Amino acid sequence: MVAVRFHGRGGQGAKTASRILGTAAFISGYVAQDAPIYGAERRGAPVAAFTRFGREPIRERGAIAHPDVIVVADASLLDDAVAHVLDGVTGQTVLFVNSSLSADLLRTHLSLPEQVTVRDVTGIALQQLGAREAISALLGAVAARLVGLAWEPVRSAIDGELRDLGLAEPVIERNLTVARQCYDSVEPATLPQGTAQAVGAASLHQPTYEPPTKGTARIAAAGNSVLRETGGWRTFRPVLIPDKCNGCWLCFVYCPDGVITMNQEDRPVVDYDHCKGCQICVHECPTHALIAEREQEGGVAWTAK
Amino acid sequence: MDSQMMTGNLAAAWGARLADVDYIPAFPITPQTEIVEALAKWCERGELAARFVSMDSEHSMMTAAGAAEVTGARVFTATSSQGLLHAFEVLYSISGWRAPLVLVNVSRALAAPITLESDHNDVLAARDAGFLQIHAETCQEVLDSILMAYRIAEDERVMLPVIVNLDGFTLSFTREPVTVPDPDTVRRYLPPFRPSHLGFTASSPHALGVAVIGGTPYAYFRHQVHLAAQNALDVHREAAESFQALFGRRYDLVEGYRLDDAEDVLVMTNAGASTGKAAVDLARAQGKRVGLLRLRVIRPWPAEAIRQALRGRRAVAVLDQNLAPGQGGILYQEVAACVYHETARPRALCSFIGGLGGQNLSAGEFHAVFEQTAQAGVTGRGCGPVLLYSAEEHREMTQLQMVAAGSVKREW
Repeated sequence: MVAVRFHGRGGQGAKTASRILGTAAFISGYVAQDAPIYGAERRGAPVAAFTRFGREPIRERGAIAHPDVIVVADASLLDDAVAHVLDGVTGQTVLFVNSSLSADLLRTHLSLPEQVTVRDVTGIALQQLGAREAISALLGAVAARLVGLAWEPVRSAIDGELRDLGLAEPVIERNLTVARQCYDSVEPATLPQGTAQAVGAASLHQPTYEPPTKGTARIAAAGNSVLRETGGWRTFRPVLIPDKCNGCWLCFVYCPDGVITMNQEDRPVVDYDHCKGCQICVHECPTHALIAEREQEGGVAWTAK
Repeated sequence: MDSQMMTGNLAAAWGARLADVDYIPAFPITPQTEIVEALAKWCERGELAARFVSMDSEHSMMTAAGAAEVTGARVFTATSSQGLLHAFEVLYSISGWRAPLVLVNVSRALAAPITLESDHNDVLAARDAGFLQIHAETCQEVLDSILMAYRIAEDERVMLPVIVNLDGFTLSFTREPVTVPDPDTVRRYLPPFRPSHLGFTASSPHALGVAVIGGTPYAYFRHQVHLAAQNALDVHREAAESFQALFGRRYDLVEGYRLDDAEDVLVMTNAGASTGKAAVDLARAQGKRVGLLRLRVIRPWPAEAIRQALRGRRAVAVLDQNLAPGQGGILYQEVAACVYHETARPRALCSFIGGLGGQNLSAGEFHAVFEQTAQAGVTGRGCGPVLLYSAEEHREMTQLQMVAAGSVKREW
């Protein structure tokens, strides 16, 4: 069995990519299974999806703890401990990262397995499709190539999935063309040959009663969401052009996450550690003093502290 | 102590009044209405210093009840049947919040077809909701159980809501003598509600029932609800001892009736158990060694008390006043599960379904129950679920079907 884990941000298409791989494997004659996992759906929040396929009935369900292949749709997830991108990685794990940086650059601050492939899928999407987040077909194609599936079932799977999403014919055609380019740009990887390990009995903890102050699903520490930095959710950041700002405070009012404060000169100050990049402030600003600037990897991009 | 004639409903209202509750969200439903009418009247007259609010539905009512309870108020509310089911999702939230309010359910069979009379499919549907359940046999027990319910619910070792159940009509509208405890003594029995994990202070907000994803925290908190419910077995005993010391009446998890030398035992709950006791007396007069075990506390499930009561019996019959279609009696399943590991378990276990929708349980039917149970004890083979339904009832039913089908012509 081959187990592929996709990591992405809500809206990037990690789930669709996992479906494309699952369908492609199914069409190729394998037993296949795919499933996403996410919390309350939010654009930009870390999500994961899982595809398994093989020649025998699949006796696993749910999250993949020991992936053969990991596909990372957004390099900023590598820095986000909550996303658990590198959980279960061994020296043999095949890793694909969507990034404009090189594998060597990524390795400078991360411990990565030997087989790492990096492509700037987002750049390709922006250039050829004109949309930053339309990368599901591209990731699906890359994943399918890495695990050695032939192009024809992949093409058929992309066509089916994108059609199911209600995309127009020309959009599907463009996606297929670019997906083929991405497919051809990577080589089939050497997949780990895992054998089932014998497992000892887990050490069970006997639950004991705890007083209601501890034993109730209750949060008494007010304002602890500040501990969860969500700056990595952004694809674009709001940036202030001070000369244009009239100090109306509308951005402050509209910000759904309360990350805008006003300074003594009535100018907005954005907390980039927590701004999710929804662009509502940019949209509402009557004088266009707030503009959306694309996050640059390795540049001013947010990294988790 | 002077007693007075009152219905089960009025006894329930007195329970809430004596518990000195702070807040009563209400929505009327037959056969519960008299409870909220009495409480509304007392609040109006200033005899009860509680805030009484009529809500737009039972769902709103339970939501308001839980929300008020988590601010630290002592809350009472009451419903029945369809009303309980309409409030259902909120029950699970309230137990998850560990909000120890008391809810009286006046049992009424569930639609369809619609009816007003009692059986226990309503209250037993809530058996897994994290509420404790006390099922009363008499009007006095209704009142006393509400006081015990607050005492147990608000204990830091439990901190779970409680349903006190009484049968519609057979208790709710039935008057019998009830002793109303002295309010000052009740105050000694029920200390003020001061929960450590609840309360409302504007300057120190806290969140209850927060989202937990990934399974582990969810499992932990559900385990806690289970452990809290199990703690209630001991806390109930303490509450019963203290109640007896102050008021002279004693209520245990289960009640045995003429069990001492009984070969065969009939298991029942609620007001129907009175009829069952009469049937035991009748059978005893005919020389049969039978007894009755009344299950009073259904949650937590008093497994050990049931095992002790049923150990070494020849045969046991569980008479369920409920029906799980496709399965049988709900309590039969639970009794069977808890005697399985008993080495001296009864030779035979029989399941009877009776009293659905207020259906009469006749002396003759009890006679048949005892006969079949004794027979099962001799052969060692249990029986059931036996659907109690007499030939006479079937004649009546056939007549009704003819009327419903239009095959009986009106003769005027």
